[in-house]
Formats: sequence, structure tokens, C-alpha cells
Amino acid sequence: MATLEQDKALSTDGIMPDVAMLDAFQPDEFGLPAATVIAGKTAAPLSFPRYVYSKVNELRFIKFAFVSFVTNNLRRRYQRSVLGFAWSMLNPLLMMVVLTTIFSLLFHRDPKTYGMYMFTGLLPWQFISESIAIGCMSITNAEAFMKKVYVPKLFFPLVTCSTECVNFVLALTSMILLAMCVGLKPTFALLVLPAAIAVTFLFTFGITLCLSVGTVYFRDLTHIVKVVLQSFFYFIPIIWPLNALPEKYAHIFLSNPFTHFILLYRSLIFDGQLPPAQEWGWCIMYATLTLIAGFWVLQKKEKDIIFRL
Amino acid sequence: MNDVHISVRDASLRFRLYRNPTPGLKETVMQTFRRKKANAVTEFDALKNINLEVKSGDRLGIVGLNGAGKSTLLKTIVGIYPPQVGEIEVNGKITPMIELGTGFDHELSGRENIFLNGALLGRSYKLMKSLENAIIEFSELGEMIDLPIKYYSTGMHGRLAFSIGAIADPEILLMDEIFAAGDAQFVSKCMSRLHQMMDKSQILILVSHDNNHILELCNRAIVMYKGQVVFEGSPQESIDYYMENIVIDATHPAQPTFSEEFVGVGSTLAEVDGPIAPVTDLITTVPAGAAV
Repeated sequence: MATLEQDKALSTDGIMPDVAMLDAFQPDEFGLPAATVIAGKTAAPLSFPRYVYSKVNELRFIKFAFVSFVTNNLRRRYQRSVLGFAWSMLNPLLMMVVLTTIFSLLFHRDPKTYGMYMFTGLLPWQFISESIAIGCMSITNAEAFMKKVYVPKLFFPLVTCSTECVNFVLALTSMILLAMCVGLKPTFALLVLPAAIAVTFLFTFGITLCLSVGTVYFRDLTHIVKVVLQSFFYFIPIIWPLNALPEKYAHIFLSNPFTHFILLYRSLIFDGQLPPAQEWGWCIMYATLTLIAGFWVLQKKEKDIIFRL
Repeated sequence: MNDVHISVRDASLRFRLYRNPTPGLKETVMQTFRRKKANAVTEFDALKNINLEVKSGDRLGIVGLNGAGKSTLLKTIVGIYPPQVGEIEVNGKITPMIELGTGFDHELSGRENIFLNGALLGRSYKLMKSLENAIIEFSELGEMIDLPIKYYSTGMHGRLAFSIGAIADPEILLMDEIFAAGDAQFVSKCMSRLHQMMDKSQILILVSHDNNHILELCNRAIVMYKGQVVFEGSPQESIDYYMENIVIDATHPAQPTFSEEFVGVGSTLAEVDGPIAPVTDLITTVPAGAAV
């Protein structure tokens, strides 16, 4: 940082702002760590836990960039329309109305209950699947940034997941409020929702990180991911109730990791009670596994990605 | 002032160019059944055994032909391209101005882009907030600042980008051919701003094809040729060397000549990193015993 005298000299030229203002900044606010050694490939690699720590630590220095990107993404999604946020809700809302109508007519279910059942599964699933579908292209799409400034590689997957997460929280909140008008009873279980969202976020981020690095090497991965996600929509108890399954096959459907996350929300909002510890255990385990996989892939490929963009 | 410096130690960077740069999973699977590899790789050395010490107060100019590795060297110092061999130590806060307007979002206004761009350069919100007015004033954009920058001209783009980069007194400023877009008046303003910044004993590394800029702004210069530093000296010496030995070469098909000191440099790469083939092309172009 510049010394006081030097700032004074400059401020007389009308270029620099007040000395007092500049003086208020600590040098460490200035972004990335000042002392950096960019070691070649021959350097000894960090151990995995230290690598993860260093990556997470690196993010501390780009807090502002992170917030700017997420708000800009959201702003672009909501702005330039009178209804703004309402537009982004239109898609899940319309889907729910259509499916609720069909299912209540076909299977003679109570549309109110079925509608609530649907949205407790549909919204988390949309969060997970949109994050993965958009996020897996996040590194390849950020080529222009990555070739001009140094940005940590996990920045863009993280931005995508966070944008979707904010969107999810807004959608979930408004849907719960809407459901309460129709007759959903508020329970204390709702207070545990942030924990469920946090676990889901980490799980989604782990998968997105893996796939975004993978997409750099196999560009057609995005198409495969989209198809797989679409088929998962029917494998997960979103539109059908769990007890509609024949007992023989139930475990096949329950063995996919996404189901556990959906069940978390269903239990908290629809049933209004805390999910069993076993259910939390599954979710935390899957989140940890995907995060480890994500960082492992990143560590293996981090120094190579830029050459393949 | 703490010890601001950059040291590049024996750094080499090798690019791999794929015939098909966007491979798919399908092709990759298919390829394992084929005898002939479809996605051939061409390798070339963007940087070869670069050794460079830049200390506080240095204003280093880099000259060289297109494709000599000048921009690549800057990008390696910033951390965009990690070197395959060797290491780079950077002590100080870098502001890269490698391509102006990095991270500009064309839908957002100039003012919003000041913050976005500042964020990408690793600055805090508080800092950008305090610099906001100074940047707008320096860029001479006036009321245009609140319009989406898709309505800006190339010159206005460049002015905004330069202002964001240069206004915050970066400890280390890397600039790559950034005066191309500005008009004469703004370029001279940039020049005087750069002169001011020099008095604060920071590092400037400037890549320019305009020899006058190198002479005016730098106190040291290097000449790069095919990924190597082939000459190091004062700006005047470097430009003389560059004009005599490298530029003239393009009009006369004679081989460029190098001082003997640099002839043997290329051979160490193969020893450090096994699978990479020995670097020979530079050595073979140098006539034995050629002297400058």
C-alpha cells in the first residue's frame, strides 16, 4: 500500500480520492494473498486435506467477486420484467398445477394434499438438477475469464450452485407461505429447513464440481447429464408417493442418493416432523462423498484445465 | 514499503494443441477401438527456461515478435498458466491488464461494471466504493457511466478498463498492448498517470509494439524470441537489438543470431520433465559461433 505522503501528492491532481478514505484500508483487503508462489508441476503436491483447506481459504479473498457474480446472475434473471421474481416461479407453479390436475383426476387424490406433496419434492429437485445442468458447463463457459485473470477453478461452479440455491430458498419460502394459506400447518420442523438446505447445497456442489471439470475434457458430457437428470425425475418420489411402490422394488428406488434429499424436505414440510437420524446420516454421507470426489478431481486436474479450454 | 518483487526461476511452459479442441466422450470411447489416433496433439514451447528477476522500482519492457511468448509470460506471472517446470514467486499485489475489459458484463451499466471488474481483480467492495468517483472522473465517461456498456464505443471501453486497473495504485501492474484503442489525448493521460505511479516504486511490466512507449516508460527491457529471453538490457539497447537481429530477419530470410550465452539454454527442459522431448529447434537455427 502507498504511504500517506504519496497519496497526498496524488490527490492534489484530482485523480485520487480522499487520503483518509484510502488510509482506512488494510493491505490484506486487497484481494488475493500478496505473496504467492506458483510452483510448477514438478513441485511436491499438497496432501488432500491441506489442498482442500488451501482452496477454501483462497475463496476468502474473492468474497466480493462471489457476491457480485451471484447478485448479477439473479439480477439478470429477475430484471427487465414487471413481475421479476414471479416469472421464475411460473415454471414450477405451472408444472405443479398441471400435474396436480392430472393426478387428482386420474388417481382421485385430494388436489390440495397432492399439490403440497408435489412441491416439497419438486422444488428441491429443481434446485439440484438445475445446479448440475447449468453448473457442469460453468468452467467451460468461463473460458474468457479464466484466460485473462486468475480465478480459482471452483469459483464458477460455486457461483452457479449458490445462484440456484438463493433462487431455491426464495421459491421454497413463497411456496410454504402459499401452502399455509391453503391449509399447511406451520410446525417447528420448518426451523430445521436451513440445515437441510445446507446439506443439499454441499451435495449439489460436490457433483457440480466433478462434472464441471469433467466437461472440460468431454464436452458432450452436458448432454448425457441432461438426459440422466431427466430420467431421475421419474426415479425419485416427486410425482408418485413412496407407498405406491411394490415392496419388492422399493429398495431400488430408495437406493439412489437424490431420494434421501427429497425425503428430507418432504418430512420437514409435508409431514411436519423431523426426519429420522438415519435419513440425515445418508444425506451427510452423500454430501461428504461428493465433496471429496469433487475436490479430488479438482486437485488432479487443476493445473491442466486451462490448457484444455 | 515491503519487498515487492517477482522472480521467475527456470520456468517452462509447453502448450498442447489438439486437433479437436473440444473432444467428446463419444469420440474418446470410439478412439480406444481405433488403431490410428484421431485427436493428434501438437506441442510447442511457449516459454523455455525463463529466468527473470524484477525488483521493486523496475519498469520492465518486453519486446518481441507476435507469438514470441510475451503475453504468455505475463499470464504465467498472473497465475493463469501454471508452468510445467520451474517456479514463479510473486510478492506483491498484481493488477493484470492483459486484455482490457475482462469480466465486463455488457448488459450492466458502466458503474456496475466498475464493481464487477474490481471484484475480479481481487479488490474489496469498500475499496471500489471509495475509488468509484475517481474512476468515473479519470475515464471521462460522464453521464454515460450509467448506461449499459453495450452502447459504449471501443475507446470508451478501453478508457473505463484502464481507469479501473490503474487508479488503485497497484503494487505490480502488468500491461499488454493496452493503448491500441484510446485516442491520443487519453493515451497521453494514461502516460502521465503511469509516470505518477512509477514514482511510488512499484513494478510495471509492459508489453508493447510501440518502441516509444518502452523507451518512455521503462528502465529495463528484455527481448523475447520463440519463448526465450534472448537479450536483456536497457530499453534502448534492447530495442536496438530487437530491430537489428529479429525484426530485420523478417525482411531478409537470413537466420537470426544470438549471443552465445543463450545458445545452450534450451536443453535443460528434457532433463527436468521426462516425457517432454528435448528442445532442439532453437539450437539448430543458431549458426555455430554466431556472435552479436
